[in-house]
Amino acid sequence: MKKIIIALLLGFSALSSLSQKIVRYDLYVRDTVVNFTGKEKRAISVNGQIPMPTLTFTEGDTAEIYVHNELNEKTALHWHGLFLPNREDGVPYLTQMPIEPHTTYLYRFPIIQTGTHWYHSHFELQEQIGMYGSFIMNKRKADPTFRKGIDDLPAVPIVLSEWTDYKPKNVHRMLHNAGDWFAIRKGTTQSYGEAIKQGYLKTKVKNEWKRMTAMDVSDVYYDKFLINGKNESQLPQFKAGDKVRLRVSNGGASSYFWLQYSGGKITVIANDGNDVEPVEVDRLIIAVSETYDVLVTIPKDSIAYEFLTTPEDRTKSTSLWLGSGVKKLANPMPKLKYFEGMKMMNDMMKLNGDLNDMGMSMSLNRMDMNVVMYPEITGAINKKKSKDMKGMDMQGMDMSKDNSMHDGNQYNANALSDIVTLNYAMLKSPTPTKLPDTTVKTFCFTLTGNMNRYVWSLDNKVVSEADKILIHKGENVRIVLYNNSMMRHPMHLHGHDFRLLNGKGDRAPLKNIVDIMPMETDTLEFNANVYGDWFFHCHILYHMMSGMGRVFSYENQPANPEIKNPKLAQRKLFNDDRKFHFMAENDFATNGNDGMAMYSNTRWQVASEWRLGYHDMHGYEIENHIGRYVGRMQWFMPFIGYDYRYRMRDGEINFQESNIFGQTNTKDTRQALSLGFVYTLPMLIKLETEVFTTGTVLVQLKRDDIPITKRIRAHLMINTDKEYMIGLQYVFSRFMALRVHYDSDMGLGFGLNLNY
Amino acid sequence: MNFKIKIVMMVTALLSLTVLSCKAAIKNAKTESIKVYGNCDMCKNRIEQAANKKGIAKADWDADSKLLSLTYDSKQTTTEEVLKRIAYAGYDNALFLAPDEAYTKLPGCCQYKRKNITKTVVTETKKDVLSDTTKKEGPLAKVFSYYFALKDALAKDDGNAAAVQAKALYKAIEVAPMDKMTPAEHAVWMNRQQKLSYDAEHIKGVTETEHQREHFVSLSKNMYEVIKVFKMDLPVYYDYCPMANDGKGANWLSLQETINNPYMGKKMQTCGKVQETITK
Repeated sequence: MKKIIIALLLGFSALSSLSQKIVRYDLYVRDTVVNFTGKEKRAISVNGQIPMPTLTFTEGDTAEIYVHNELNEKTALHWHGLFLPNREDGVPYLTQMPIEPHTTYLYRFPIIQTGTHWYHSHFELQEQIGMYGSFIMNKRKADPTFRKGIDDLPAVPIVLSEWTDYKPKNVHRMLHNAGDWFAIRKGTTQSYGEAIKQGYLKTKVKNEWKRMTAMDVSDVYYDKFLINGKNESQLPQFKAGDKVRLRVSNGGASSYFWLQYSGGKITVIANDGNDVEPVEVDRLIIAVSETYDVLVTIPKDSIAYEFLTTPEDRTKSTSLWLGSGVKKLANPMPKLKYFEGMKMMNDMMKLNGDLNDMGMSMSLNRMDMNVVMYPEITGAINKKKSKDMKGMDMQGMDMSKDNSMHDGNQYNANALSDIVTLNYAMLKSPTPTKLPDTTVKTFCFTLTGNMNRYVWSLDNKVVSEADKILIHKGENVRIVLYNNSMMRHPMHLHGHDFRLLNGKGDRAPLKNIVDIMPMETDTLEFNANVYGDWFFHCHILYHMMSGMGRVFSYENQPANPEIKNPKLAQRKLFNDDRKFHFMAENDFATNGNDGMAMYSNTRWQVASEWRLGYHDMHGYEIENHIGRYVGRMQWFMPFIGYDYRYRMRDGEINFQESNIFGQTNTKDTRQALSLGFVYTLPMLIKLETEVFTTGTVLVQLKRDDIPITKRIRAHLMINTDKEYMIGLQYVFSRFMALRVHYDSDMGLGFGLNLNY
Repeated sequence: MNFKIKIVMMVTALLSLTVLSCKAAIKNAKTESIKVYGNCDMCKNRIEQAANKKGIAKADWDADSKLLSLTYDSKQTTTEEVLKRIAYAGYDNALFLAPDEAYTKLPGCCQYKRKNITKTVVTETKKDVLSDTTKKEGPLAKVFSYYFALKDALAKDDGNAAAVQAKALYKAIEVAPMDKMTPAEHAVWMNRQQKLSYDAEHIKGVTETEHQREHFVSLSKNMYEVIKVFKMDLPVYYDYCPMANDGKGANWLSLQETINNPYMGKKMQTCGKVQETITK
């Protein structure tokens, strides 16, 4: 009897597996050379193309994806937004070991959902140079959620991305070294010169007083922006009256994009692969790694309408033309008013680096503080202001403006203008999304970070500094996120969709990314229903690689067979944010060589500074520090040091100098260990206090890189050894600057400053 | 001394070079004649300004023939680039149609007649919604639509517009066709008409938003009682802001779900929340 039942069961399961359709894709990952800017650069293509090919399935299929890694480096592919067994999730060293060069790896999983998703490399920075593509899962015809007039429309998969001619590793290094080369390229230095010209001197001073450097809405300068791998392309087949569904995924590594359409309103019908009730808007911003399905209509024949996609920093744009004929332009996005943004940040930033929302409870992107920078919402830069400045009481003007700021919030783009901008509060699921009635576990995270050292974290801990977060299968998990950093972050959860609590009750939309702006608080919840180690992280590639994330892990779960050596895997995973970044510079000047080299990571810094004269009289001096940054804003760094100096003055042996404390010491030959600290004061002045084994004390004030104009930087230093230095440099390329400085020891020098 | 002279020579040489290059005619010159739509001499100025780029493109537009004679350096730019700039300045041409926003920003005399372009979809749909409501909404359609217009005017801090809308509202209240009301509707109307009329009259009598808003508090309350019984085809949102009315809190009605506060004006336009959604 038992045997019969087993046989029956076997037969049944065989049947059901037969009825399943297996859809196989072969992906050949290869090195390639691209030319987006006139220069040939390395990129990675899959099956010879960028973006990677669109993978299409129907719910109920089984996906079999063979990845042939023909690179000379490892890789791993993540299926973004998909429900799948943890071992297929594609996070190297967490859910699998990376795919070794010149090997083939099979991802096999059932397709149990529908919607617009995408896939990308989750290995190091490969996503930046081509490894992104659309992943579309269609509804079955009999699907009860099939929407007539929507799900039967022609659909075009669209992947947005960006291109930089710099190697991504270099981009990452440059971000960590907090240079302002990207700002120079973007024209967003926000120097004192520009501030004075535009009447924002007070704003700039206040900004530096609060220890902030120039503000921006994005970190990286990009050379080109792309829709499906092209800056401009056309779909001429559409005719008047056609409705087109664009399945838009943002595959950019760090760019948010504004979407606009010159043929009328945009109807949003799905977000992150989940249907939402149609909502009409004039424009929307798509966060890094989000997906939106939008409907657009072709109003007339013989006109091509522009689907205009503009990165948040508005430096450039990319277009897709729908239809054929004379081209109808969308309104281009005017340049940001950066000093207005700076003023806004000044108001929000407390002296201790915390953000202050002034009593507005902000959430769901409804209030966008950046509207103060959007000329299309808050008006163009007031030209009168800069022209009529003479004879006007500038301070008075600033004051009155400041006061109006404090009266309350004025950041709701939809209330301030007739332009309707989508926000999360407008998303509503067409079906109830209520979670099963069970126990709820709540976690609160504060998103933290600082731009100066490019450290990004949750609760001031990076991935390698925090334990996995244990959850229990079956329970509901609620996450409350508060963004206390100065940048927005698209937080992405692997393997689950969560409900974003947005005031729609049972119809809260399902998402797997929530974009959270500075000072916003958002709450999301999901049912823990699939074992595994699931990554939860900021999807800005360079933030993720800096350690902005956590791992959710289920209690008592079976081991992942792909991870044979969990300890090794964990160490490799942690290496991402423990990585040290190197920088060095040297000024080859007429009076000697001035330079420094630095090797640093999230918390630690090893640095050397040297001043080498050309003869014994000027002397040679080198200072070495090993220090650790303390606190969230990392303004404080205690260190231990070792100094060596040698100098010989003509005819004088053992020449004694005294410092302002009356302590004497010789500079002739000195070796000393030291203990000290560096503290960043308002105006970004570094206070360095150091006690040497010889008993001498050194206190030094130093300010580097004061932005005088777009490309001129000033440097100041003074210390208790009665030494001082002032310098000016003109930055003319990424690596080079001309420098003139006066040093109390070495005198006047002109030189060429090289930096890496 | 010698050295100084050399420097002076070098500088003059450099200067003369730059002067030369400025004056130099466009290289690799190509000339084309292209249709650009416009009206007047002012248009001519604006079109040419948008098109011209020193040493790269030079344009001359003729108002009668609407033809742009364009000479450009074919190695440095393309007609497409130049025409795109012209379209961004607001002028439709052979290759590009200007963004609607750029066209509307043109000075009055420059608003040439646009071929090919239907009016923007945006404004049409908005109008449709309003006219729809007036058509189908029964006896108090006008009352409601003037109320919402009044609310929008207050939200924009526009006391003059508010007075105008209140005047229309006052009249609409007076002439509301009671014979078309159901008995239940009629009962409510009889109860509220006087009060509505009183507030509307006060709002139309002044242009200071402060005073208008005081009356708008009770006007909204009474309107809410009315609309609850009459009901519109569209959902109506009953909003509440705790800071309005000198911190005592106040309500208003809105057709949009997004908060657009008529009490706080532009300063705190988004203050408030939806308290109730009234649907049919």
